[in-house]
Amino acid sequence: MDCIVLVKQVPDVSNIPEDAWDREKGTLRRAMLDNILNPLDLHALTFADRLRRAGETGRVVFLTMGPPQAREVLVDCLSRVSGEAILLTDKDFAGADTGATAYSLACAIRRIEHEMFDDSRDYMIVSGMQSVDGDTAQVPPQIAEDLGIDHIAYAKGLQTEPDIVIRRIASEGVEDVRPLRLPVLVTVTACTDQLYRSFAQTRTARTAPIHEWSAASVGADPTRTGLRGSWTQVYRLFSPSEDRPKTCEFIRNPSELIGKVAARYQSAAPGAGPEADETYELDGREPSYRGEFWVFAEREGEGVRSVSLELLGKARRLADNLGEQVGAVLPCDAAGDRPAQLIAAGADVVYVLQHPMLGEFDPLAHKKAIATLVAEKKPQVMLFGASPLGRELAPRVAYACRSGLTADCTRLEIGDFSKGTTNLTAILKQTRPALGGNVMATIMTKDSPTQMATVRPGVFKVPPPDPDRAGEVIHIPVDLDEGDRGLEAVPVESFATKVSIRDAEIVVAGGHGFRSRADFDTYLGPLAAGLGGLLGASTKVAASRMAVEDGFTTHDYQVGQTGQTVQPRLYVAIGISGAVQHITGMQGSEIVVAINKDPKARIFNYADFGIIGDIETVVPDLIRATEGRA
Amino acid sequence: MTAPIDVLIVGGGPAGLAAAIRLKQQLAASSGDASVVVLDKAPRPGYHNLSGASFEPACLDELVPGWRDDRRFMEHVSPVERDDMYFLLGRRAFRIPDRVVPGGMHHGGDVTISLSRLTGFLAARAEAAGVELYNGYSARTLLVEDDRVVGVGLGEMGLSTHGDKSNHRPVEEIRARVTILADGTRGVLSEQLRDRFGAGANPQVYSLGIKAVVAFPGENPFGTNRVMHTLGYPNPASVFGGGFLYSMGEKLVAVGLIMGLDWKYGDLNPQREFERYRSHPFIAGLLKGSVTIATGARTIPEGGYHALGKIVVPGALVVGDGAGFVNMEKIKGIHYGILSGMAAAETVAEGLSAADGDGVLLTGYAKRLEERGVLPAMRHARNYRQSFRWGLYAGAPLSLVQSKIPRRLGMEPDFKGTKRGARLNREDPGGMDGATFVSLTGSLHREDEPAHMTILDPAACVTCEADYANSCTAFCPGQVYRWDGSKIVLSASNCLHCMTCAVKCPLENIRWLPPEGGEGPRFKQM
Repeated sequence: MDCIVLVKQVPDVSNIPEDAWDREKGTLRRAMLDNILNPLDLHALTFADRLRRAGETGRVVFLTMGPPQAREVLVDCLSRVSGEAILLTDKDFAGADTGATAYSLACAIRRIEHEMFDDSRDYMIVSGMQSVDGDTAQVPPQIAEDLGIDHIAYAKGLQTEPDIVIRRIASEGVEDVRPLRLPVLVTVTACTDQLYRSFAQTRTARTAPIHEWSAASVGADPTRTGLRGSWTQVYRLFSPSEDRPKTCEFIRNPSELIGKVAARYQSAAPGAGPEADETYELDGREPSYRGEFWVFAEREGEGVRSVSLELLGKARRLADNLGEQVGAVLPCDAAGDRPAQLIAAGADVVYVLQHPMLGEFDPLAHKKAIATLVAEKKPQVMLFGASPLGRELAPRVAYACRSGLTADCTRLEIGDFSKGTTNLTAILKQTRPALGGNVMATIMTKDSPTQMATVRPGVFKVPPPDPDRAGEVIHIPVDLDEGDRGLEAVPVESFATKVSIRDAEIVVAGGHGFRSRADFDTYLGPLAAGLGGLLGASTKVAASRMAVEDGFTTHDYQVGQTGQTVQPRLYVAIGISGAVQHITGMQGSEIVVAINKDPKARIFNYADFGIIGDIETVVPDLIRATEGRA
Repeated sequence: MTAPIDVLIVGGGPAGLAAAIRLKQQLAASSGDASVVVLDKAPRPGYHNLSGASFEPACLDELVPGWRDDRRFMEHVSPVERDDMYFLLGRRAFRIPDRVVPGGMHHGGDVTISLSRLTGFLAARAEAAGVELYNGYSARTLLVEDDRVVGVGLGEMGLSTHGDKSNHRPVEEIRARVTILADGTRGVLSEQLRDRFGAGANPQVYSLGIKAVVAFPGENPFGTNRVMHTLGYPNPASVFGGGFLYSMGEKLVAVGLIMGLDWKYGDLNPQREFERYRSHPFIAGLLKGSVTIATGARTIPEGGYHALGKIVVPGALVVGDGAGFVNMEKIKGIHYGILSGMAAAETVAEGLSAADGDGVLLTGYAKRLEERGVLPAMRHARNYRQSFRWGLYAGAPLSLVQSKIPRRLGMEPDFKGTKRGARLNREDPGGMDGATFVSLTGSLHREDEPAHMTILDPAACVTCEADYANSCTAFCPGQVYRWDGSKIVLSASNCLHCMTCAVKCPLENIRWLPPEGGEGPRFKQM
């Protein structure tokens, strides 16, 4: 089968030279980083190669958008998988946000379909799940939205006989998805081993033609490309340390430590608490946006996912500043008790989108129902939890509503913006980590009817339910038919309890300070379980590189530059010295607790709380303390 | 199958790139053409190249006419205006008067550069000249057929500690009419060539250089356009070497410590000694207010003239550090690398134009090395490094007259230098810890790759603990080797590719082969 592979040239955030930091501004000089092929795109390449081998025709077209030097990544692709390459490059594309990028790439895909595939629709588009620099995972679903096609996210495997079936990671396990029509866009998560470049193929690739396409050549509307066509704009870049200064508080008593950690954990993220966001005063000025503050209500079992409730609490506080109403949008096949739950959490209005086809998550059907409602009611803000489902749905809804979207926010506030002739009042400032957590960016929406954002779970606190709150439930008629369904999914494996270390709210990590694998197993699991029970959170045990080398666990659990990057709400580092290698992988954690017998260990520089002592004495006390409090 | 390759150059450092550029020039002048392919294991040009470096730039005038007009490169080239040598004792420093410093050690007319940047500059010039440069490919074996070098074999990729992975890529052979080995200090292929075709009369010996680049956010007490060399502290008198500080523009200074690898102490940790050097009050004063922004380590082949093995064999030539073209009397090698690369290129160009069929006759390489002054300088310094085998106090005076010594001074290979039971037992000097040092080299390797260094006989490490304090756990600046009480545990992904372990394990129990291409340190301005 023919295939278009979307690739991106990104800065190598795994190797940031010390002098690339602008210490005064607290930002990164991006020009000092190497440019590489986005690491997840390597998995897309492997995926495409399998697809190519499956059919007889099997044409592979690599497509990237970027400055002229982005041709390097196309050569890299051709060195691994033979095919053709297109560089979409034009100064009109500069400064594009995800929406403008998606639009431009969609224009190029139409041209590929027409010229290279002879208008055949029998092809797939494959890309990496997200890029390491933006990390939004927004462009692929927005391309799918522009093209009006389906999107299969989190793909990890592929079966080509007798039909194309994509295996993907779903929230409760693994499922096989059969696309009901083509083309379909597949975003690939870490699924397989990267294909190496052979010398011979690299040598051939160097001389292969790379087509350069301009904006005009793909028929792109100049008002929709580049900075001009973007619906969001970066407002400020700053250092993550500015957001979270760390001074380690050393505590001797394990029980006291657990108490303080629990108190900090339950008081929610810094900058997110009531003190930080509810101080905006309009003072009679005309706000730039008017309308309700909406939250997408994601279902979980018979209830509502906690991130949706967290966002309702936040939306309530933001809306109160401006005297606006809070709305919850609930797509479902049966509403159940959920409307009452949403009202108790802060909603003034619950919009129930009820339809049998909304029982399961089908991105196209959900998008259609929600986008129609947004277009009609015109809220000023719409928030989604950055859950796997939210990250798939929100980009399509935003794109369909021609609105900007900021991914994975960790802070939201109302503020003003003034620069040149632009004066904006009472807009939503959306702050998120970027470049692998190495910088923070505050972003604002522009030229959009609604300001949209996805927000990381656990950033805000679930408000205590108020059963006496009054609210209105409005049933909205939903018009869907079988043509709106794009995918057919069959669960193949379920792992209700299996959580990747990246998704856990609490990570308990052990290092070289452990003496044996037995100790590693004896102490870490129970402490993680104790903390999880005490704080009602998902937990995972992880390790430093040294501990992996010591054979205490496998590389899947390694945190660090060459392992995984985690950003849990609570990170407990036990017997970890704090090599830069390791710090890189966990510095985005909200609360860090370090336990080490060496008072000079670097890890304490990055910790909020510390205990100096032997693992064998401290950890059992900590486990007892969690049990005592639970 | 790709187009045939006429000349394959293994190693894209200054010597290999000089050969490539010169070859293209020679071919253009004789209106001939030939494909010139350069392979390098570093992910990008210059990322595996490290030196001080104080550099004699005259060779560039010939190789890259007009190089001084490249403004972006020249921003990183500083002419030397001040040149001092000091002797450090305990907490004090004594300036050695200029008239006492041997002529070869003066640096007037030199420039200070970053070798990584020089290599990047040469790589761009080579590509512009039509050279095919491939970074990220590790050559592991020299292909020899009928006593003739016919190319190289790349290492296989996609192995894991559990066997083949789904992306396993087998060994790939690259054949060429002529192969130029420019694989640097203790190069794996040039070593194979010497094993096959003949080594020098003396064993090759090495020093290890540990280096940092520091930045001054505020005032720079060391100053600009300055080079300084030191003798003495912290090196024990029995350990050859010394320290250096070179300014790199206004805000950066390179600081390094060089130690002869024939040291006898099992517990000598060069990275710790480097920190000891930086903590000396005199050095610390010159570096006050600085922040370390990059680090690295690399060995230097110092055996000199008598350690040169075969440098030309049927089908292949050896250039640069891979051959051992370093002049210890001047502590210099870069320009010899470039000059030897040019000499090799001229030899190959002549051979190609006269060639009939596949065989290319390589004649006149040694003569060209004579004419370019490489061999005469090597010959003059032939006993220099060897003079120091009895330590600094015997070596310093002896080295002044070494060229008059009528016979070849012998030398033991470095691994024999480590003496059973010898310990330095020094206190930890503090300063930058080893893990941070490693991280600032930018080194990276795939974690599930089988270790590219092998302990040949793990049982020998057990007795080594008592005999030599498992010296690999101390001598490796990458902290690759750890002793867990019963065996050596490898942190292969820390490796800096400095080659110390390949020559310093007292039991010759470590074999180092290049890992997958594109891995290893990432020196941007070393």
